[in-house]
Amino acid sequence: MIGSLEAATHIAARVAARPAALAALVFLGALTLLATFAGALGLDPLEQDIVRMLEGPSRDYPFGTDELGRDILARVIFGARTSLATAAGAVLLAAAIGVPIGLVAGFFGGWRDAVLMRVVDLLLALPGIMMALALIAVLGRSQAAALVAVGITGVPTFARVARAQVLSLRRRDFVTAVEAFGATSSYSMFRTILPNSWSPILTQMVVLSSVAILLEAALSFLGVGIPPPTPSWGEMLRTGKEYLHDAPTFAVLPGLALTLTILAFDTLGRALSTVLEGRDTVVPARGNQP
Amino acid sequence: MHDMTHTFGLVRRLAGTLAIGLSIALAAPARDVSAQQVSGGTLRVAVIADIANFDPHQFSFVNATLIKNLYDSLLEYTPEGKAIPSLAESWQIAPDSKSVTLSLRKDVKFHSGAPFNADAVAANLKKAADPKLGKNLFATMSIVDNWTVVDPATIRVNFKSPVPERQITDLFQFMTIIDPAGIDTVEQKPAGSGAYMLAERVVGQRIKLAANPGYWRSGQPVSKDVEITIFSQDAAATAALESGGVDIIYGGTLRSASRLRQAGYPVLDGPGPLVQVFRINSTRGPFKNAKFRQAFNHLMDRESILRVGYAGLGQIVALPWAPSGPAFDPSYAQTYAFNLDKAKDLLAQSGLSPAEMSAWKLVVNAGSQPDVGISQVVQATLKRVGINIELDMKEGSELVETMLQGRFDALFGGVGNIQKFPSRLATNSIYRTVNNPVLGTPHPHPEYVAAIERVNTTLGTGPEVKAAYDNLNKVLVETAFGIPTNTFDQGVIVTGKTVGGFTLDMDNMLVLRTTGFRK
Repeated sequence: MIGSLEAATHIAARVAARPAALAALVFLGALTLLATFAGALGLDPLEQDIVRMLEGPSRDYPFGTDELGRDILARVIFGARTSLATAAGAVLLAAAIGVPIGLVAGFFGGWRDAVLMRVVDLLLALPGIMMALALIAVLGRSQAAALVAVGITGVPTFARVARAQVLSLRRRDFVTAVEAFGATSSYSMFRTILPNSWSPILTQMVVLSSVAILLEAALSFLGVGIPPPTPSWGEMLRTGKEYLHDAPTFAVLPGLALTLTILAFDTLGRALSTVLEGRDTVVPARGNQP
Repeated sequence: MHDMTHTFGLVRRLAGTLAIGLSIALAAPARDVSAQQVSGGTLRVAVIADIANFDPHQFSFVNATLIKNLYDSLLEYTPEGKAIPSLAESWQIAPDSKSVTLSLRKDVKFHSGAPFNADAVAANLKKAADPKLGKNLFATMSIVDNWTVVDPATIRVNFKSPVPERQITDLFQFMTIIDPAGIDTVEQKPAGSGAYMLAERVVGQRIKLAANPGYWRSGQPVSKDVEITIFSQDAAATAALESGGVDIIYGGTLRSASRLRQAGYPVLDGPGPLVQVFRINSTRGPFKNAKFRQAFNHLMDRESILRVGYAGLGQIVALPWAPSGPAFDPSYAQTYAFNLDKAKDLLAQSGLSPAEMSAWKLVVNAGSQPDVGISQVVQATLKRVGINIELDMKEGSELVETMLQGRFDALFGGVGNIQKFPSRLATNSIYRTVNNPVLGTPHPHPEYVAAIERVNTTLGTGPEVKAAYDNLNKVLVETAFGIPTNTFDQGVIVTGKTVGGFTLDMDNMLVLRTTGFRK
């Protein structure tokens, strides 16, 4: 349970005490800083220098240049901004929709539970990438559309986790006591049960961030993600594979950035799960994966 | 932002010279190679896609691997565009240019053993004139009124009105002859008289050809067998050539061709390329404004587009013609070169506000890496003059519908038939003079329609023909609903270092009858 700043600090310290999690935290912290302040670094991911297209690493271009002579380093850094922003937005969207669904289903039970969970089952039955592709087809290609598509695929996971938490807390004494004092259903759900359900939800947010980043990259790799010239790791992989012989860094570096970021989120999620749930070898459910 | 104007200034000044020089340089090796002594064997060819069918009247690029190997046409063109005999030994155009009499070879048999004669040509003319069966020949047949079989070796074709000579030879160069007995089943089973016969086909995997023992061209085909392997990936085909697994790659990417050329592999660039055209829907948004459209003549950074999209293989053009086309004029590439100052002047003259100038999207073929690249070049160039546009990525049937129904502001698209008679340009959707699917009816640029009509009705070979071509060129850049940027070759041939003796085809189809291994 995270009820206070003190508790949060305590949890962060316990997570940081794990070397792998600490490394993941440092990596993600650095990546977030780079992505946030990328504009202040004087790098331009859109500036074309076609005379120097597909060059290898040099002093001017440490990661080389892409097929339009753009700085691959700049595009990888700005690509991080795209990936992190899309992942954060998608996870928040998924939580914002999925958690209330799970709360209502678990709290009220009966037909509401049956209907809502069948809808969730239906969403779970569809492969995430297929659902995202269908949504992109309807919404068109844009960063907002990619965010929504990725977010919707995460809804079932949050709904199921929230419902499971409600079912485990619904008959607990502190909930019964609040209801005995005349609390409304909304109060019980959102002010009593939800604050006590944050541990698994927070863990899922971290783990699903890696899934969201991967899914956004997969959409861009398939050519239906964020449209050019916005830098995106998936789009760089898609284009870079055509030039592997001429400029290996073009595809390898965004691929490496993608791999390390997903690994970091996954490692952090596992550590968080272990700490929050008091288990040593917990593998959080990945839910609806592409 | 880079400034390509300065960097490529010298190239631009020399564009006209280079235009001619490059085509000669590219074509020259093929002629030299064909003059070399080569011996037979089994040619192993890599292609990237399987054929659509065996109908030689369907000029899908994927069919270009087989058409000129299984079939012969009535006439052929040299790489310089001179008509030469093939199945027709000679042709005589009537003084009034309203008919032509073809004298046919008497020593030709189809693969079935049936004789080639005037009746066979008549059967093919009938197929070509049928809107359902004529495929790509149908539009070309629009000039034909009827035909008469004079005798087994002579046929006379009558036209609806006087027709310029080049248009007549274009028709018969286009016309590959199918065995009349096989016309109904030609999509499934080849029925030609060409240098090779089909030996085996495994759909999606390979096609084997065997030499036609009764072929009429003496000493041909040089190689007795051809094995065509369908590689789904260009990289796999390239690796196969480098490892000696195949002798020829046909229709691979220009990026790979460029790399292989640098590695010492001969690259043959035929005389029948496509031209990349920035297609403008002049009935929409700011593109209704003529000055705004004309600015795009100078807003195309053609050197960068050629380099990014086509690995520099091709040449810069400002008109929709190949260098071998009769209306080709290299001076336009200089006059309408990339020049932001001239573009800004025209944009100012348009009277449009920056917001109005930016109120459109560039549709992009998301499945084509060259299109995605060159569209981003244009987007970045436009940003330099204050025009900020978005790219609208489309693929598959959505893209085709968008293109053919004219639901776009602007997009890039390749244009073919640019090495033929100039009015053949009007077979491409954006350049159609009637029922134009993009610009609608009536055509919003009557001066263009009139210029095409003038080309179609100007006979002879004198200055009046050149004047008609010059007028068409002038109208094309003034109406500016299509902004050509560069030529590019869909049918580029990369060969192993021991392969030689290629015959270059006017439509860049693969012709293997003279190809073999250097002695």
